[in-house]
Amino acid sequence: MSAIAATPDAAEYSTRRLPGDQDVWIFIIAELLMFGAFFIAYIVNRAGEVDLFNASQLTLDRSFGVVNTLLLVTSSWAVVEAAAAVRGNRAALAPCYLLIAIGLGVAFIVVKFFEYSAKFEAGLSMTTNTFYMFYFCLTMIHLAHVVVGTIILIVMWTNARNGNYAAAHTKGLETGASYWHMVDLLWIFLFALLYLLR
Amino acid sequence: MDEKTSLRYQLISAWCGPAFLVTFVFFWGFLGHNLPNPSPASSAADLTTRYLNNLGEIRLGFIVSMITVCLYLPWTAVLSAQMARIEGNFPVLSFLQLLGGGLTVMVVSFSAMFWAVAAFRPDRDPASFQLLTDMGWLCIDLQYACTTLQMVAAALAGLADKRKLPLFPRWVCYLTIWCGISFFPASLTGVLKTGPFAWNGALSYYIPYFCWLCWYSTASIYMIKEVRRRMHGADVPATSGRLAHGMGT
Repeated sequence: MSAIAATPDAAEYSTRRLPGDQDVWIFIIAELLMFGAFFIAYIVNRAGEVDLFNASQLTLDRSFGVVNTLLLVTSSWAVVEAAAAVRGNRAALAPCYLLIAIGLGVAFIVVKFFEYSAKFEAGLSMTTNTFYMFYFCLTMIHLAHVVVGTIILIVMWTNARNGNYAAAHTKGLETGASYWHMVDLLWIFLFALLYLLR
Repeated sequence: MDEKTSLRYQLISAWCGPAFLVTFVFFWGFLGHNLPNPSPASSAADLTTRYLNNLGEIRLGFIVSMITVCLYLPWTAVLSAQMARIEGNFPVLSFLQLLGGGLTVMVVSFSAMFWAVAAFRPDRDPASFQLLTDMGWLCIDLQYACTTLQMVAAALAGLADKRKLPLFPRWVCYLTIWCGISFFPASLTGVLKTGPFAWNGALSYYIPYFCWLCWYSTASIYMIKEVRRRMHGADVPATSGRLAHGMGT
């Protein structure tokens, strides 16, 4: 969590810059490349078994996917508002927005729990077929990112409550926010690939 | 020990990194026929043929790789000492890195050991070849967490390094953490026999192993540079000043 607690250096900030800790972007880009590899693997395997993938996809419950997409997008919005509040000298509002974001992150995890439970009850698992192998592996790896992201949000919330963020001191907040937006972005891709792509 | 001798041993230890890398890829990878590696979906009969057709190379590859994997140890030791300089009196991360590195050697070594056992009696039952192949792969693919901890410990110490010329640049530290967690999909090898998450798949084998060796090479470069700086007397003292008890000079 040293990135969150990193002290800002106003001098290194230019008008056009990546938000947050510049070096953390190496991590974020590497994560995006990794998921890029996952998506390519999915597309390549799908091309070999299009009918199986399409048939299996119909057994997914899209409403779970839609609800989770809404939860994460709204959560990202709350994080944006928290950062805007801090930058606009309304830092007292930041903990409220961050708490909303945490709540929505936890809600995503709860929805996933019910979604997985329904699949397991129906006798579906990652060994059922190639589609379900991808469905479970990719969403579970993403879920691990949501769990880590929620923990980061909790750290940010604690920092915000302790008054550690100010208009001139947003590096930690922006770093955590960038990670959370990445988690959101990855879910949007996953949702489209697994639930919608025909 | 006088400082010059100590520095010489440190430099040799740091160069054990590249030496490990080359010997690991050559003996464990090429001679051991792990590039590409056998599929978990292949039949016992196919696996047996694979061993019998390449018996000499497989024996040589794994027997030698069990020796050369120990080059990882001096490298881990010098990294621990370098980290302890950053950490000061309570080198918890350095100890963690030391343990992680030591156990990584055992995990890698045991994988080669199972396959060396398989090649020991070529007339054994094909089911045993399959069992030993499974044991070797699941041994190395499911027990990555000690390596992940080693990498995360090194990265956290690196990020806390506030010297003008730090041991690792900050971006290397973040890359290290990411490389460490890139192993997580390898846990899926415990369940899957086909696809990219099986033990011969891109996402559980080629990418995480490449990331591990990528971190290892990058870290080696910066570690050798750090030792060289101290050899040439251009070192910036550690912020903590005092060094850990019994850890370095």
